[in-house]
Amino acid sequence: MASFPDPAWFVALGRLMAAEGESFRRLGYAEVRFAIRVLSDEGEAIEGTTGLEFDGYALVRAEALTDSAAFEPDFVICGRRQVWNRMLEEIARNGRPELRHTLSSLALVGEELWLESSDQLREDKFYRVNQTLTEFFNLAAKLRD
Amino acid sequence: MATVQIKDEAKVGSEARFKYEPSAYLQKLYQTGTPDLGWMNQHGEWGIRAKPGNLGLRLKDIEIGSYGVVPEHGSTHRSMAPRGAVVPADVPSLDFTVNEKAECWADNAMELYEEAVARQWSSARDIPWDELRPLPDDLERAMCQLCTFFTEVEFIAADAPTRWMSRINQDFLEVKLFLATQAMDEARHTDVFRKRALANGGGLGTATTLSELSLKRIFDSPSFSVQTARLHLLGEGFVLTMFRQGEFIAQSRVEQEIFRRCMQDESRHVGYGTVHLREQLKSRPELAGEIHDQLDDAEQILLQTFSVPELVEPMAILMGGGIEHFDKGMELQGQLWRRIVNEYLQRCDSAGLDRRPRCLLPTDFAQLFGA
Repeated sequence: MASFPDPAWFVALGRLMAAEGESFRRLGYAEVRFAIRVLSDEGEAIEGTTGLEFDGYALVRAEALTDSAAFEPDFVICGRRQVWNRMLEEIARNGRPELRHTLSSLALVGEELWLESSDQLREDKFYRVNQTLTEFFNLAAKLRD
Repeated sequence: MATVQIKDEAKVGSEARFKYEPSAYLQKLYQTGTPDLGWMNQHGEWGIRAKPGNLGLRLKDIEIGSYGVVPEHGSTHRSMAPRGAVVPADVPSLDFTVNEKAECWADNAMELYEEAVARQWSSARDIPWDELRPLPDDLERAMCQLCTFFTEVEFIAADAPTRWMSRINQDFLEVKLFLATQAMDEARHTDVFRKRALANGGGLGTATTLSELSLKRIFDSPSFSVQTARLHLLGEGFVLTMFRQGEFIAQSRVEQEIFRRCMQDESRHVGYGTVHLREQLKSRPELAGEIHDQLDDAEQILLQTFSVPELVEPMAILMGGGIEHFDKGMELQGQLWRRIVNEYLQRCDSAGLDRRPRCLLPTDFAQLFGA
């Protein structure tokens, strides 16, 4: 079983997304390219960055990135390992993160998760499709160990 | 086919003010039974076959051939005749006043329109209202006051741009379609915050004169582009941040879903406004001075608006988790302030407006208090 943030882990979520079908259609389509970056708990060392792309109601791309800029993401969601792990543990336990631990809430404060982008308009896509991103991550509750 | 029974049929037209005379065409058709069919030879570009993409047939898919050419100057007939159709010489004018593409256009309008249509939601269906639980009195009062504020301000983003929508040349249809979705979004925001205020044992709080003044200035803007600067760039940009804060301060999944979904809608509006201003300023750089003047005024009113207890305190109480944690709530607001100002300035950069030297908003939260 692949582990977060391996591309295969996201591909597994993508399969669940496809299986959900109607619930993601109801949220509306999303056209966005972004990356998830996991940093070590201790410092700024990057443990891994995965580039993802949604086209419509499907995850169409998931790949490990060494050069994020070349992937041209609209935004990169960055966070330390323990923050990501806490979110995923809460999702596994309750089907969703606790109220203040959602992607948007954490990125708002900007300490535990933060966004990087070359342009505010492209960063704003994080907000435009936020419900889709949130529900996508919540599918992790259905992943089997 | 069965005959439809019409009530009091004999009375229909008995007091009509005009007498109907069949047209010469209809009389001829009746007499000869031969259709005219002349219209079959009067059409725009013919043989067009737009192909749907993986998400269906979207506006961008039909922007092909001559139909995809958006003119720099709107048609002089000023009628609702569709762009690309044959237009008779005697169509009546609707006297549109926004007739230059640069005055309203944004290249992302089509994309945002389709996205808005695809991502509509229902405040009745999509909010888990049955998960509302009674809150401590201070939190409920704070949430209700915040909802009162949003109920008060949100619909200006429908009322104000639609004033201009009816003045925009029909050749810029894509912009009008987008503005129509914005009006629908704001209707939903107005209803959902009103519903939340009335759904959990509270009610509406107080409106504020300063909010109303801010709305009036937006409403009275002298041009569409100026209004876009005041409304989309500054006003909605700030409200977008407040919606994000709203998700953070949510006391239940009800508020969380409300704020997150409103945030999605609002970011489309900000996206349109930023790109429109960018294109407008590229075309008419001399407008920058007027937009700066308007933003000077708008920022000043915004600072005043957020200097009254009705707006400062509910947010601090909700952020802190109650009146007893008011200081913590204020501290959190302080941390967010720099982010709010930074995002606003970055959107101005994106629009091609160097706002930094003239910006009235202090980057340091403490300066709001004269500290």
